[in-house]
Amino acid sequence: MVARDLRRSFRTTQGRLRRTRSEVEAVRGVSFEIAPGETFGLLGPNGAGKTTTIKMLITLLLPTSGSASVLGMDVVADVRAVRRRIGYVFGGDRGLYDRLSGLDNLRYFAELYGVEPREQQRRIGALLELVGMTGREHERVEGYSRGMRQRLHIARGLLHDPDVVFLDEPSIGIDPVGARELRATIASLKEQGTTVLLTTHYMFEADELCDRIAVIRSGEIVAEGTPEQLKRGVASGRVLEVETYGVPAGVVETLGDLGPVHSVAVEERGQLQVLVLQCDADSEVTQDVLSRLGDVRVGRVSAREPTLEDAYVQLVTQ
Amino acid sequence: MSSARVFFVGGLLSFRAQFNWLSPWILVPSLMVSPVAQILLFAYVGRAAGVGDDRFFLVGNALNYAAIPCTFAMTFAISGERWAQTLGLVLVTPARRLPLFLGRALPVIVTGWAVAVFGLGVGSLLLGVRLEVAVWPSLLLAVAVTSVSCTSLGLLMGAACLRIRDGATLGNVVFLVLLVFCGTNVALADLPAWMAAVGEWLPLTHGIEAARSVAAGAPLGDVAGPLVRELLTGLAYGVAGLATLGWMERDSRRRATLERM
Repeated sequence: MVARDLRRSFRTTQGRLRRTRSEVEAVRGVSFEIAPGETFGLLGPNGAGKTTTIKMLITLLLPTSGSASVLGMDVVADVRAVRRRIGYVFGGDRGLYDRLSGLDNLRYFAELYGVEPREQQRRIGALLELVGMTGREHERVEGYSRGMRQRLHIARGLLHDPDVVFLDEPSIGIDPVGARELRATIASLKEQGTTVLLTTHYMFEADELCDRIAVIRSGEIVAEGTPEQLKRGVASGRVLEVETYGVPAGVVETLGDLGPVHSVAVEERGQLQVLVLQCDADSEVTQDVLSRLGDVRVGRVSAREPTLEDAYVQLVTQ
Repeated sequence: MSSARVFFVGGLLSFRAQFNWLSPWILVPSLMVSPVAQILLFAYVGRAAGVGDDRFFLVGNALNYAAIPCTFAMTFAISGERWAQTLGLVLVTPARRLPLFLGRALPVIVTGWAVAVFGLGVGSLLLGVRLEVAVWPSLLLAVAVTSVSCTSLGLLMGAACLRIRDGATLGNVVFLVLLVFCGTNVALADLPAWMAAVGEWLPLTHGIEAARSVAAGAPLGDVAGPLVRELLTGLAYGVAGLATLGWMERDSRRRATLERM
C-alpha cells in the first residue's frame, strides 16, 4: 500500500442568512508505504486526520490531491477492484443492524462481498469461533454488549478474507479482557500474512502489534519508524514523573523552560496531577523541578525509561 | 448469481434490518387498523354528505394506504443506513448498486400490496360493498402496479433523505399530497384543473382509476391504459431515485456528505 502526498480538504459553511465559507485541511501531504503482510500503526490525536486518511484509502473519499494505491490498484480509478480486496472495521457501538441477529449481519455483508453460499457457512462459523461469539450468533445485535459488537465488527470485516484490513480504533470502549482478545485476533491476522493498517489511542497496543508506526499531527506525518526507533529517536533520554496536588498551570509552564527538559505533560488522576517531563539522558533536573514547584504539595517522584506513549506525547505536543 | 443473491437475499435482510414497523405492536395498528379506519372515515363522510358511494371511497383509500408502507419503508430502507452508520460499510463493498437498492424495494412492494388488499377485504366486509370474485384478479394486479409505482416514489424519497435530515416529515407531507391530488376521495374531474394536472404526474392516480374501473366490473383490457401510465410513472420515479442515489454516492466521495447528521 502506498500513499503519496495525500491531501484532503473540506469546505464548511456557517450561518443561515450570511453564509460564510471556510476550508479545512484535514490531511496535508501524507506519504507512507506499507509492505505486504506488515502491520502499520497510524497514531495521532482526535482530529489529526487518521480516519480521513483511511477513508481515502478505502475509496470512501476522494483525495483533494496526491495519490494512493492498495495492492497496486489506484484508490480513485480502480474502486471496485480495491473494495473486493480490503476489509474495514471501525470502533464504537454503531455500524451494525441492531434488529438483525449477529448471524444475519454477517450473512448480509457476506452477500454484499459476493461470498459463495457454501463458503459463507464455513467462513462465518470460523469467524464466529475466531472472535469468540459461537453460540451467541442467533441473538439480536441490540442486546449485545459493546465488546460483542466490536467483535462482530471484526468478523464482518474479515468475511471475504481480505488481503488488507483497515482497523480504525477497533478497541475503543472494550474492556481489558476483550481488548486482549482483540489484540490476539489482530496478531493472528499478521500470522496469516494479512496487511493491517491500525489506528488506536492505546500506545501499548500499537507497541505490541505494529511493525512500524507513523504519528500524524494536524494532518501531517511528524514521525515514522518502528516502535523502538520512535522511542529512541524522539523521546531521547529519560522520563521524570512527579505527582503533585493542585499545581497551577503557570508553574507547569516554567518547568518547560528548564534546559534539559524537552516537554512537559500533565496527566489528571482524580485530585492528583502527574507531571511527565521528557528530559535529556544524563540530566539531573529533579532538584530544579522541585524548587520551581515551590509550595505545591508533591507526592511520589520517579524516573524511568521512555515508553512509546512518551514518544507519542512528545511528538503530538511539540 | 452474486447480484441475484444481493437482490433477493440482501434485499430481504436489509428490509428486515431497516423497517422498524415490523414489530406486531407497530405493524398491526399502523398497517392494519389505520387503513381500515381511514376507509371508514371517508366512506361515512361521503354517506353523510351524500356524495360518492362506498366503493369509490373503499378503493381510493385502500390503495392510498399502500403508499404508507411503500414510501415510508422504502425511505427507511435507504436513509436508515445513515443513522445506523452502516452506509459507509455498505458503500465500501463491491456489490453492484442496482440490485443492492432495488432488492430492498421487493419486500416493500409486497408489504404495500398486502396492506391495500387487507384494506379492500376488511373494508368491503365492514361497509357491505360487494366485490365479485371475478374482479379480484384484475384488482390485485392494479394494486400490485400501484404498489410498484409508490415504491418508486419511496426510492426517490429515500435517496433525497441521504441529504435532507427528516425522512418521516417528508413522508407525512408526501402522503397528504397523494391523498389530496391523486383522486383518492375527490375524483380528478372534480378537482381544480391545476390540481388534476399535478395528480396526473403522481404515482397512485392512474392505479386508483384502474382499480375503481375493475372493481365496478370493467374487463382488464379496458384499464390497460391507466395501468401502463401508472407503471410508466413508477418507472420514471424509480429511474430518478436510482440516478439520485448514484449522484449522492459520487458526491459523498467528493464532499464527505453522507455521514453528516
